[in-house]
Amino acid sequence: MQRTIFLFTALFLVACNDSPQQPTDPATLTWEQTLQQAQGSTVHLMMWQGDPLINAYMQQYVAPAVKEQFGITLETASGQGNVIVQTLMTEMEAGKSNSELDLAWINGETFYQLRQIDALFGPWTDRLPNAQFIDFQNPFINTDFQQPVGGYECPWGNVQMAVIYNSEFVKEPPRTREALADFVKTHPGKFTFDTQFTGLTFLKSLLIDIAGGGTALHGDFDEKKYLQSSALLWDYLREIKPFLWKNGKTYPDAVAPMHQLFANGELWFTMSNNDCEVDSKVLQGLFPTTARAYVPDFGSIQNSHYMGIPKLSGNKAGAMVVANFLISPEAQFKKQDPSVWGDGTVLDLSKLPGDWKQQFENLPTRKYAQPRSELQKHALRELAPEYMIRLAKDFREQIINQ
Amino acid sequence: MALFLGLTALPLAFGIGYSLLHSTGLAGIGSEGFTLRHWGSVLTGSEFWRSLGFSCWVAACSIGLALGLALAAVVRGPERWQRGILSWLIYLPLTLPAMVVAFLVFQTLSGAGFASRLVYRLGLTGGIEDFPNWVNDPWGVGIIAAHVLMATPFFIILFSNLYQNERLGEYAQLAATLGATARQSARRVVVPVLLRQAFPTLVLYFIFVMGSYEIPLLLGSQSPQMVSVLTIRKLQRFDLADMPQAYVIGVLYTVFVVGAVVFLLRKKSGERSLV
Repeated sequence: MQRTIFLFTALFLVACNDSPQQPTDPATLTWEQTLQQAQGSTVHLMMWQGDPLINAYMQQYVAPAVKEQFGITLETASGQGNVIVQTLMTEMEAGKSNSELDLAWINGETFYQLRQIDALFGPWTDRLPNAQFIDFQNPFINTDFQQPVGGYECPWGNVQMAVIYNSEFVKEPPRTREALADFVKTHPGKFTFDTQFTGLTFLKSLLIDIAGGGTALHGDFDEKKYLQSSALLWDYLREIKPFLWKNGKTYPDAVAPMHQLFANGELWFTMSNNDCEVDSKVLQGLFPTTARAYVPDFGSIQNSHYMGIPKLSGNKAGAMVVANFLISPEAQFKKQDPSVWGDGTVLDLSKLPGDWKQQFENLPTRKYAQPRSELQKHALRELAPEYMIRLAKDFREQIINQ
Repeated sequence: MALFLGLTALPLAFGIGYSLLHSTGLAGIGSEGFTLRHWGSVLTGSEFWRSLGFSCWVAACSIGLALGLALAAVVRGPERWQRGILSWLIYLPLTLPAMVVAFLVFQTLSGAGFASRLVYRLGLTGGIEDFPNWVNDPWGVGIIAAHVLMATPFFIILFSNLYQNERLGEYAQLAATLGATARQSARRVVVPVLLRQAFPTLVLYFIFVMGSYEIPLLLGSQSPQMVSVLTIRKLQRFDLADMPQAYVIGVLYTVFVVGAVVFLLRKKSGERSLV
C-alpha cells in the first residue's frame, strides 16, 4: 500500500513538475505570469509600412521601449490586409503549428476575413491592464464594420476619412453631393479617387448619403437597400465620370500615387483615411502648405484600427504585452502628436490617471485639418463588410469596365 | 536529368495541380466542394480574355519596337557595340530593376512629368490637360515605353554578339563584293540570320513581357489590366470568394504560355533540321 501511495505521489510530483514546461494557454495566465513568459521573447509584428512617420514611431519609439521595459525584441515585417490574410491562410492550409506572426495590424475588412477563416486568437483584450482606459462605450471603437470586436482585436487608433484639397486652386471646397458634381464638371480632370480602401470608403459615404444619410444602412447587409442606393450611385458616377481625372477611364491604384498626383499639381484633391495625415504630409514637405483637409456635409466614415493575434502565434504572451504597451497612455499620447504620427487615441481621456487628460488636451493642434470635434459632427459608422465587397466589384463592372 | 526535372518541372506540376484543386473548390480554406462555377465565370466573362489580349498587345508592341531599334543600331554600326565606351555603357540599363524603370517612365511621361513640363515651358501646351495621355492609359503606352527601354539594350547586346559569332561582317562583305548594296545585304543577309538565331530568346522575352508585374502595376490602367495584375487583384483584393478565379487564371495562363513556347520552338527546331 505504502509503495502504491509512494508511486502515485511520485507520479503526481513528476506530473506537476512537468506542467509548467508545457506551453500554457495565455488566456489562463495572470498578468504577472504573462510578463514573465514574454520576457526575453521575440514578437513578430506584420504591419503596413508605407508611411515613414509610422515606421519611425514603431522602430525608434515602440521597439526600444518594449525591449527596455519588458525585454521583448519587436521585429516588424511589411504587409497589410491581403498579405496578412494570405500568410495566415497558407499557414493554416499547410497545417503549420506555429505562425510566423504573433501580432498583426488590421482593421475592418481584414478582421472580417480573418474571422471568416477563424485565424484569430481570442478573446484576449480584457486581460490587458491598460484595456480599462479604452473607450469601449464608443461605437466607433467597439464595433468594426458593424461587427462587435468581442475581444478578438485590440483597438489601437481611431481616425476619420478626410478629403484633402489644395486651397490655392480650390477656394471653397464642395460640401454636398450636388456641389461636388458641379465642381467636377466645371473643373475637369482635377478630381478622382483610388480603387482601394480609401476610394471605396469615399464611395461608401456617398452610398450612405444616397440611402438617406446617417444610420440608413446600419446593421447587416441588406441586398434590397444596397441595390436601390447603388443604382443611384452608379448613375451619379456615370454623370461625373467624363470629368474625372483621365476622363474616368482609369483610377489611381492606391492612395500613394494619388498623393503624388496631388503633390505635383495634376490633381487638386486627394483623400486620406487619417484626418491628420494632411498635417504630417505638409510637415514632411510632401504636400504644399496650401493643402487642407475637410469632411463634406454628407459625412465621412470614422473607424478604428486594431491589433490582432493569430491563433497559431507561438508567442501570444509577448504579443499581449506589446499590445498592452501600445494602448498605454504614454504610447497613445506620443502617437497622437501630429509631428510624430497624428493618430487619434482610442482611450477615454476621463478614465486616465494623473494629469494625462490635460496632457492629451494640450497636444499641439493640427494646422491644416479641421479640428476633430468639427469632423466628429459628420462622422459615419462603418458599414457591414459585404457593402465594401459589393461596391468594389460593382464599381469595376459598372464604371471602370464601361 | 532527374535532379533537373525535380527542381524545375516538379514544383511547377505541384503548383498547377494545387491551383486546379483550388479552382474547382477541392482545396483551400472555405472551399465548397467540387464545382466548375469559377471556371465558367472566367471563361465566359470578358475580363480574362481582354486581359490576355492586352498582354499580347503590350508584348508584341514592346518586342517589335525594341527589335526594330536594336536591329537598326547593330546593323548600322556593329563595331561600336564591340569596342569603346558604348560597349560597356550598353550594359548599364540592364542593371536597373523593372520598378525603377517604371518609375522613370512615370516621372517622364505622366501629365505633370518632365516631358509635359518641358513642352509647357516651350509654350507648346497650355497645361496638363493638353499633354497626351501616355501613362495609365488604355493602350498601355507607358508600359510599352518602359519595356522598350529595358529590352532594347538587351537585344543590342544579343545581336551584337551574334553578329560577331556568326561572322556576319564577313558575309556582308561577301555580299558587297557580289554587288549587293548595304541595304540589300542588311535585309537579305544580316537581319534574317540575326532573327533566326535569336528566335528562341525573342519568344522567351515575349513571354517575360506578357507576365511582367511591376511595370503594368505602376503604369497600367484599371481596365484592361495585364494578366499578372488581374491575377493578383483576384487573389488579394476584398472578396475571398474571388480567389478560386485567380487560380483559374493562373492555370489558363500557364497552359497558354507553355503551349505557345512548345509550339513555336518545336516548329523552329523542325525548320532547322530541314535546312
